[in-house]
Amino acid sequence: MPFSLGYGTNGFADHPLPVALTLLAEQGYDAVALTLGHPHLDPFADDLDVQLRELRSRLDDLGFRIVIETGTRFLLDPRHKHRPALVDEEAAARVDFLRHAVDIAAALQAECVSFFSGILPSDTAPETGWQRLTSRVADIVDYAGRKNVLLAVEPEPGMLVQTVADALRLRDQVGRPDNLRITVDIGHCVVVEPSGVRGALLQAGPLLANVQLDDMRSHAHEHLPFGEGIVDLPLALATLAEIGYRGVAAVELPRHSHDAPGLAVRSIQALRTGWEASGSMREASGWLTQSTTAVAADPGTLTTVFATAGRRLGRNPLRPEADPSGVLFGTTTDHARGRFIGSLAGLLSPDDLADALLALYGGGDSAERRGVLRGLGDLASSAPNLPDAVVSVGLRVTTEALRTNESGIVAAAVGPFAAAHLDQHNWRHAVLKLVFMGISLSAVAGLRERADAELARMAGDFAAERRAAGRSVPEDVQLLLQPSSSSHTSS
Amino acid sequence: MRIFDPHIHMTSRTTNDYEALYASGVRALVEPAFWLGQPRTNVGSFTDYFDSLLGWERFRAAQFGIRHHATIALNPKEANDPRCVPVLDELPRYLVKEGVVAVGEIGYDSMTPAEDEAFSRQLELALEFSLPAMVHTPHREKLAGTHRTLDVVRESGIAPGMVVVDHLNETNAEIVKDAGAWMGFSIYPDTKMDEQRMVAILQRYGTERVLVNSAADWGRSDPLKTSSTANAMLAAGFTADDVDRVFWLNPVEFYGQSGQLILDPIPGFDAADLPDAGAGFEGNSVLRGARA
Repeated sequence: MPFSLGYGTNGFADHPLPVALTLLAEQGYDAVALTLGHPHLDPFADDLDVQLRELRSRLDDLGFRIVIETGTRFLLDPRHKHRPALVDEEAAARVDFLRHAVDIAAALQAECVSFFSGILPSDTAPETGWQRLTSRVADIVDYAGRKNVLLAVEPEPGMLVQTVADALRLRDQVGRPDNLRITVDIGHCVVVEPSGVRGALLQAGPLLANVQLDDMRSHAHEHLPFGEGIVDLPLALATLAEIGYRGVAAVELPRHSHDAPGLAVRSIQALRTGWEASGSMREASGWLTQSTTAVAADPGTLTTVFATAGRRLGRNPLRPEADPSGVLFGTTTDHARGRFIGSLAGLLSPDDLADALLALYGGGDSAERRGVLRGLGDLASSAPNLPDAVVSVGLRVTTEALRTNESGIVAAAVGPFAAAHLDQHNWRHAVLKLVFMGISLSAVAGLRERADAELARMAGDFAAERRAAGRSVPEDVQLLLQPSSSSHTSS
Repeated sequence: MRIFDPHIHMTSRTTNDYEALYASGVRALVEPAFWLGQPRTNVGSFTDYFDSLLGWERFRAAQFGIRHHATIALNPKEANDPRCVPVLDELPRYLVKEGVVAVGEIGYDSMTPAEDEAFSRQLELALEFSLPAMVHTPHREKLAGTHRTLDVVRESGIAPGMVVVDHLNETNAEIVKDAGAWMGFSIYPDTKMDEQRMVAILQRYGTERVLVNSAADWGRSDPLKTSSTANAMLAAGFTADDVDRVFWLNPVEFYGQSGQLILDPIPGFDAADLPDAGAGFEGNSVLRGARA
């Protein structure tokens, strides 16, 4: 992996620091995320200088990189977790502590000091919180700049800065200083980030200075071992590679010290497995970057670049368990081509994009045509108001695709673009055609929202015709017979 | 017994044929672009056909468990029609597509200057796109045509191992073998080759660099000539390995030079349900006697 795998010492609270480091090195980690305070390194100890020299020497022996974490729960106030915070009325102790953390980071040659904003007190207006945060962070940034130390603000669910967008806002308000960067915890992303792990990491991009790795479920800010939540670990690792991240990515399991040695083993295994599983995604990303660059430099290469994706990226189904043949949800190549179409939207004017879509579809083989259709879906999902020229070409291509009898093409034509732009008559016929062809309706985007009484009637007639012929009625017909009304809320 | 038919025009065949091919052991095939019987009058007629080979026909084959590949070219006969020749400018965008395993069918029909021009330009394309070339030999003047074909191949600079010269018979096989190119044989009900003559050729020249195909199309032809020839080989004392070499490993080796072969089983079709070569030939005792 192009970045360093580490482990947070807050997940090793029942081991002395030197022992924890030894265990981590044995498993193949080459970095550590050190949380200042109890029990590993008291930042206010009398012999702090000696301790730091010994620690630096130990890190050198192991070849470890280090980041400084400052999320100790009761370091500054033994009665109130994480208080005082940068958003509180009185926060001198927090500011002093973070300056002190900067000194420690300088002494340890750490990669960065990671910190968070804190929970806004219930009686404080958000604007007040932002003002407090901005001026205090400006002070710490200035101090860290003089010490040549990077700071990384970490969005935390429930805090004033809880998304990467919030972190970018803070950075803007402080005047975009070069040494104020961003920490992303991939587990937090499934709880609060509107565009998920991948979106959050892409948004942070070159400003990403620190990464925390863990699993999480979408409804609870609870750090879990890999496999116990819904984080798409291969996607997260592939995205880190895609954005060129070279820093430390450390496992963050602060509530699992009781099983620390076992989790250190299982976590690095999960990370290695996840990295291997991300191979095809990384290959697709590499193709996407190269292709976009090539077409930006010479638009004449468009059709050749689009065609070569098949040779480069293979034909594996995107969701092999649910869809082994790749008919319903497409192949990895279909989706790489779809993303490429999405990136063309940033390169070309709407008219040129429309022409490109037409050329790629018209000159494409079946797989390329599926890619164009998936690309239209990506465009429709990311922009509710597509330019007229693109919608017009999209409709032409979609209706042409729906006239074919090739299952993969028909399935790709009933995605988000059709859901958003195809007229109701053609959309109903498309849905019924899937049933007729024996293609699962799981391929249809927006089925619940757009199904209506007329579609139910058509499905009923179809079922009657099948029964009259003494033939079986596809199960999916049932999904259409009782339409959800437009007020129906999807689950 | 697994079979790879290296030359068959499935566009002209029915779904019954696909089922019979699968039952006989065919799991992969190559469909070369060729003449449709009815002459084409414009370039669009070609591009729709190429699109169909790479799209609908591949999809249709997959429904029956068979991996379909194609070769793309302006065929020799229509190279003589000036309305068709501009399709040469469309070929490059097809030669980069997935599953295009050669430039073909190219070569001679009537050995005209227009055919010379199209043949050499398309050999250049094969070199440029690192693809093998599939060369048709003429129905009339076959021996003279084969000599001229081999001269043009030599002048083009393409490696002879990247070329199959097809529709050979007893009169012209040897010069192709000596030139280092692959020898292609089409087994037909009446014309070209039949099973017994093919077996005799294999006995004479061996199994190396030999491709045997049905070349079935819209004319009188039989898509199962590959399996009947394979059975004739077994009956004549060739081993199951010899048959596998001719009907699977050889086409895989030749077309594999394109880097574009897709041979993993199609999802939903069992890789193991191949007809058993040992139990083949309808369980006929002739076979058992021959193998003893």
